[in-house]
Amino acid sequence: MTDAGTAIAIDARGLTRQYAGVTVVRGVDLALPAGSKTALLGSNGAGKTTLLKMLSTLLTPTSGSFSVNGHRAPSAEVARSIGVLGHSPMLYEDFTPLENLQFFARIYGVQDAEPRIRDLLDQVGLWRRRNERTVILSRGYHQRLALCRALIHRPAVLIADEPETGLDPEGIELLDEMALAAPGLTVIAATHRIDHIDAWATGIVRLDRGRVIEDTSSVGLAAPEGAPA
Amino acid sequence: MNVLGAVVAKDLKLAWRNRSGWLSAAAFSTIAVLTYSFAFDLATGDVRPLLPGVIWTTFLFAGVFAAGQSFQDEVDDGTFDALMFSPVGATSVFAGKLVANLIALLIIEFSQLILATILFDVALLTPELLGIVLIGTIGYVSLTTLLATMGGHVRGRSVLLPVLSLPLLIPLLIGAVRATGASLGLEAGTGPWMLLLMVFAVWATLAAVLLFPTAAEQ
Repeated sequence: MTDAGTAIAIDARGLTRQYAGVTVVRGVDLALPAGSKTALLGSNGAGKTTLLKMLSTLLTPTSGSFSVNGHRAPSAEVARSIGVLGHSPMLYEDFTPLENLQFFARIYGVQDAEPRIRDLLDQVGLWRRRNERTVILSRGYHQRLALCRALIHRPAVLIADEPETGLDPEGIELLDEMALAAPGLTVIAATHRIDHIDAWATGIVRLDRGRVIEDTSSVGLAAPEGAPA
Repeated sequence: MNVLGAVVAKDLKLAWRNRSGWLSAAAFSTIAVLTYSFAFDLATGDVRPLLPGVIWTTFLFAGVFAAGQSFQDEVDDGTFDALMFSPVGATSVFAGKLVANLIALLIIEFSQLILATILFDVALLTPELLGIVLIGTIGYVSLTTLLATMGGHVRGRSVLLPVLSLPLLIPLLIGAVRATGASLGLEAGTGPWMLLLMVFAVWATLAAVLLFPTAAEQ
């Protein structure tokens, strides 16, 4: 719980990661309140992607630990609680959008997957193209489909690394509406789009050479300007 | 089980959709068997002593052609990461790749045994020989799938896979060639060689299952 009585969604203690003896992320502590939207800022090489990879359980921390909604990572509960949106869309290019979402729905054990898939594809404007091979879709549509993949299992936490990559203004609006500013969803997203964070972020964490130098993630949870009600 | 089934079905469907690697392997092995059949004088000599070598060199290189392809596609598309942060365990990911590679390679091997039976006029589709091929292929695919994972992010990986795998496969090759020879009546009893093959297959599968999560994170 935070001082204001809000539950903590991501609780990280002393996360550190080294590559070949070089410390890329050092002693990061985070306490992100449930429903908060945190913009992860920092220059290239600050350690944003490495930190996000640890939080998404893709990388094991050299030291330190974290939990998601009270479940210590890594675990199946944590895997079901998080959705990940990365640089790469992480989609099967030889599958159709429908097949991609059917596969991810199945491995996440989504009940009543078909209406959920239709709803997501409708929202991102891909229902009409659901049976085309993913490889022929544009970069923007890849990212929209990746958004559907990340949200298919209704995660409590979204971990995103430069999620605006490849999206047109309409796509960025969809991203805000469905994910970054979605009510109830806890978000931590690395971004270089400083002009865009006012639209969704409730706080920031700034990294410099692997250390946290500014953290306002748990300051307040007032609805961001322009966020949907 | 449902998740494992989903991963296996996905790998099989992708292997079919993106089958250029396996088609190259099938084409290579067909050309190899045909070339061997032209090279040996079938009219005057007993070709049976040559067949174990013909069969296993063909299978070995056919597998090396295609074994790393499915894993490489997953790495390139980023879907391997999507599997690793999902609730799917690393063991299920490995099992999916193993089963898909195994089925694809067994289909090629079976078709080559039919072709070799016709061209060399020797009965190769015996239950004993099919058992040897099955066990040998399980050991072979386990090891090459693991090595393809370990070399997934390395430059020159297409060269690295054969260089790494061939020395490790020597016990399997010895066991497979000698057991095949025994099944063709060239030496007495397949027992000891079958045992070597089985021990290798179990060792390779266990090692691959245990090491896969570490290899995947690297």
